[in-house]
Amino acid sequence: MLAKLMKYELKATCRIFPPVYAALLVLAAVTRLLYSFNPRGTNNVPLFISALLYLFILIGMFVMTFVVMIQRFYKNLLADEGYLMFTLPVETWKHITSKLLVSVIWNIGSAAAAILSIIILSIDKILSGELKIKIAIDTSGSFNALLLFEFILLCIAGMVFGILIIYASIAWGHLSNRHRIMASIGAFLVLATFSQVMFFCFKVTPLARELQEHGEVYIGPGTPIAMYHWITWFSIAFFILLSALFFAITNYVLNRELNLE
Amino acid sequence: MNPILECSGLTKTFGPKKALSDINLRIGQGQIVGLLGPNGSGKTTLIKLANALLTPTAGEIRIAGMKPGLGTKKIVSYLPEKNYLNDWMRVRDIIGMFKDFYEDLSPEKAYDMLKRLNISADDKLKTLSKGTKEKVQLILVMSREARLYLLDEPIGGVDPAARNYILETIISNYNPEATVLISTHLIYDVEKVLDHVIFINEGRLVLSSPVDEIREQGKSVDGLFREVFRC
Repeated sequence: MLAKLMKYELKATCRIFPPVYAALLVLAAVTRLLYSFNPRGTNNVPLFISALLYLFILIGMFVMTFVVMIQRFYKNLLADEGYLMFTLPVETWKHITSKLLVSVIWNIGSAAAAILSIIILSIDKILSGELKIKIAIDTSGSFNALLLFEFILLCIAGMVFGILIIYASIAWGHLSNRHRIMASIGAFLVLATFSQVMFFCFKVTPLARELQEHGEVYIGPGTPIAMYHWITWFSIAFFILLSALFFAITNYVLNRELNLE
Repeated sequence: MNPILECSGLTKTFGPKKALSDINLRIGQGQIVGLLGPNGSGKTTLIKLANALLTPTAGEIRIAGMKPGLGTKKIVSYLPEKNYLNDWMRVRDIIGMFKDFYEDLSPEKAYDMLKRLNISADDKLKTLSKGTKEKVQLILVMSREARLYLLDEPIGGVDPAARNYILETIISNYNPEATVLISTHLIYDVEKVLDHVIFINEGRLVLSSPVDEIREQGKSVDGLFREVFRC
């Protein structure tokens, strides 16, 4: 049933994202092409317009990814379409999981489209070796696959955390009889503050010895590589822990306290 | 006989307002039941509680002995008074979606009813009129072989000509062991198909009686309703 839910969730959102990705990449290519005709860019109105449009679409794409994530959850589950979704013979956690996974897919898609468009814009500099992309170069100066893996994992864990904090806020706001949107915003502020306090409390623990020895924690060139690993894994574990909590809140409300208007 | 729907002490409040108050009710299998009451009497609240779209404040509701949940959703076919159709599918897609999730849906029945009501399966849900959307929802609901049909205002928004066809569809399409609960205030139109009636008013159960008993007293359901709910 989870696969079927995801199929319909993907179908519902598929009409939105791929055309925007295509527009972004085409505009990046056009901007690059116009630039190559006139590298100094003086009095180049078409280049200016094309670059501006590219920027609008880039910003719009991220805003849309965010808005669609909220809208799909709210409109499809807690507004009128919820009458259909919640009467399907499907467990509540599968509804949440399908929305979450599809949202992660589009978040990754948007990030990939943005990176690809930047590569297109600077293709000649990359080819000529003028611009080097440094990812996961450790303190000894060599490429570290583990660091890259940790970084990707951290991004995904952070994404899941970001989506679930919003689902939990909307669900919590749903407990209110009136002004549910205001209640959701209030719930978000509470959950975000809670997360920050928790992060600070936890962060102090692993770094306490460091603080005792040096009086401060310094992260930058010269930081032992083990420290990077520590901080990354700690952050991943933190995101997973809070994501589980937010998932549980959302599931509890939608399962036990559902009251569709 | 085990009841298909049973409420005991069922109460639902919204803030200070009591929408349903201490409802005790048993509905048997194999009948067409009218859930009748004026606007705001709690009909929709009762049906939403049966579908787990609302959580009871006190008491409980059971369907075939189960609390509303995964087990009951498989055997209940529900027509809400709201339009739950999304705006990106075609009629054909939503039938496919129902087929994906409900094992008891018959697409043949659905396409046959679409044809009878002159609705094209290729039409986009977004472009359908309000009445046509209601018809599509009713077709989806009646194409299932459910044990309990919960129909909230099934004829409220459609023209009188379609009303007759819809009532005919409701009577002829359900399996004799199933129960159909129809909530409406258009009593005159549904009276002839009902086996049992439930009157509710201001969240309280006023009457639960077989229609034959009402007729034996020389009254019609419509007449009795007007008598009970005189303004």
